[in-house]
Amino acid sequence: MSSSTILAKASSDPTGQVSTSGLVWEMARRDILTLFRTPWIIISRSMAFVIQLFVFAYFISGMVSYPHFFQYYAVGSVVAMVASISFIIGYDIFEEAEEGLLDYLLTLPVSRRQFIIGRALGGAVRSMIYVIPMFVIVAVLEHFANPLSILAAVLDLFLLAFGVTGLSITMAVTVRSANRFDVMLALLDLAVTRISVALYPLTYLPNYVRLIAPYSPVTFASTSVHDALIGTSLNATNLAGLLAFVAIFLVLGATIYFRRLEGGVYG
Amino acid sequence: MFANFCVDLFVTAATFSNLISSSYFLRIAPGSNFITAMVAAFQSGRDVWREKYIKDLASYLFTLPVPRRLFAASRIAGGVVRSVIATFPGTLVIAYLYGVLFSPLLIEAYLIVGLFSLGIVGLSMAVSAFASSIEVFATARSAIQLYLSFLSTIFYDASVFPTIVQPIVETNPMTWAMNAFRALPGPGSALNSIAILTVPSLAFAALGMICYLWYAKL
Repeated sequence: MSSSTILAKASSDPTGQVSTSGLVWEMARRDILTLFRTPWIIISRSMAFVIQLFVFAYFISGMVSYPHFFQYYAVGSVVAMVASISFIIGYDIFEEAEEGLLDYLLTLPVSRRQFIIGRALGGAVRSMIYVIPMFVIVAVLEHFANPLSILAAVLDLFLLAFGVTGLSITMAVTVRSANRFDVMLALLDLAVTRISVALYPLTYLPNYVRLIAPYSPVTFASTSVHDALIGTSLNATNLAGLLAFVAIFLVLGATIYFRRLEGGVYG
Repeated sequence: MFANFCVDLFVTAATFSNLISSSYFLRIAPGSNFITAMVAAFQSGRDVWREKYIKDLASYLFTLPVPRRLFAASRIAGGVVRSVIATFPGTLVIAYLYGVLFSPLLIEAYLIVGLFSLGIVGLSMAVSAFASSIEVFATARSAIQLYLSFLSTIFYDASVFPTIVQPIVETNPMTWAMNAFRALPGPGSALNSIAILTVPSLAFAALGMICYLWYAKL
């Protein structure tokens, strides 16, 4: 569905008035639909998840001394996957600017604020749509059945997705060179997921990683998800850290994006 | 590339050495370098794909006064050289860890990386000839990378796999590259393992060349 179709649908209200939330949702919906137009991405990432879990984690868990390592890795791989997928929105925004599509999008009858919030929301929602099947596989495998725990875990994952989307948008509008952007986003993705406790417990990380890992947003999310699903408790400290990450990068991303748009960079 | 290698080696492999045993670090260390080589080698296929669909350069390149076979072979050779350059510091690090940095065996280490890259460049060019979109190319690349990384002996022995899967693991070029590298500091020569690695690498390179020539005719 094209952007114009989406917005035409949004403005088809008989009174001619479209609510703010309606416009934000229409912007988000455009990003969500983009995901389903590229099924190959879904196929390749799902394939990676399945092999990582059922081959790699299965065999490795038989070799490590940490108890219930498979369960730890399975939950963590969903968290790491949410972070990785959320970075994709930055590539989309960068490409739109390069291809001139952003100029067109900015002529649509949507305020800048709605446009930016809609993009961030779309990026986060599509990450969630994408990982929910994987989350279900892990929940079934590990017998996570408490609805409140599952709800808390999904909330943590959504907050992480929202924050990483903000971070990715910040990078997309800050870095001007395509090559530099590719490298920086790949490194950032690698850094936030690997230098965290999502896949491996903190005590087993090398000393130099142990110093930084507790401050990674992926650590906040994975610790909180583990506590919710395995410990069935709410980890307030990590949840607060996650909320701070979301607030910082969403506001920062939105502010820089807004300034770029209004600063004449994209005409 | 080097940053990627460093994260793989000094974060992931170091963590595994804490989780399993200190000797495990050395066991999986060459894998970090081969994964980097694999990513670098796949760039060649991506470039060929971009020339065809994005930059519209393919038709111009085929008009150059170079015989097609030579052109295809030079593309593959260029990809291998690029991959060896990208993994140059990584190979030095692994050679140091294996105690062969200041020995003639260092040449064998680069030979192993070069041969492994040769096969992957060939594979990536074969994929690029058939991929109609970047998504298809990325999916095929991802599938090959998963096969090379997780269905090989980087992390575990072939014996841990079910009997039916073991032949797939044992014929994986990554398995042969790992075996060759692990054999370097040993008492015997690693040349036997290198010779075994040469077979699939040349086969994949030939496949890449054939596919590239076929695509050039279209």
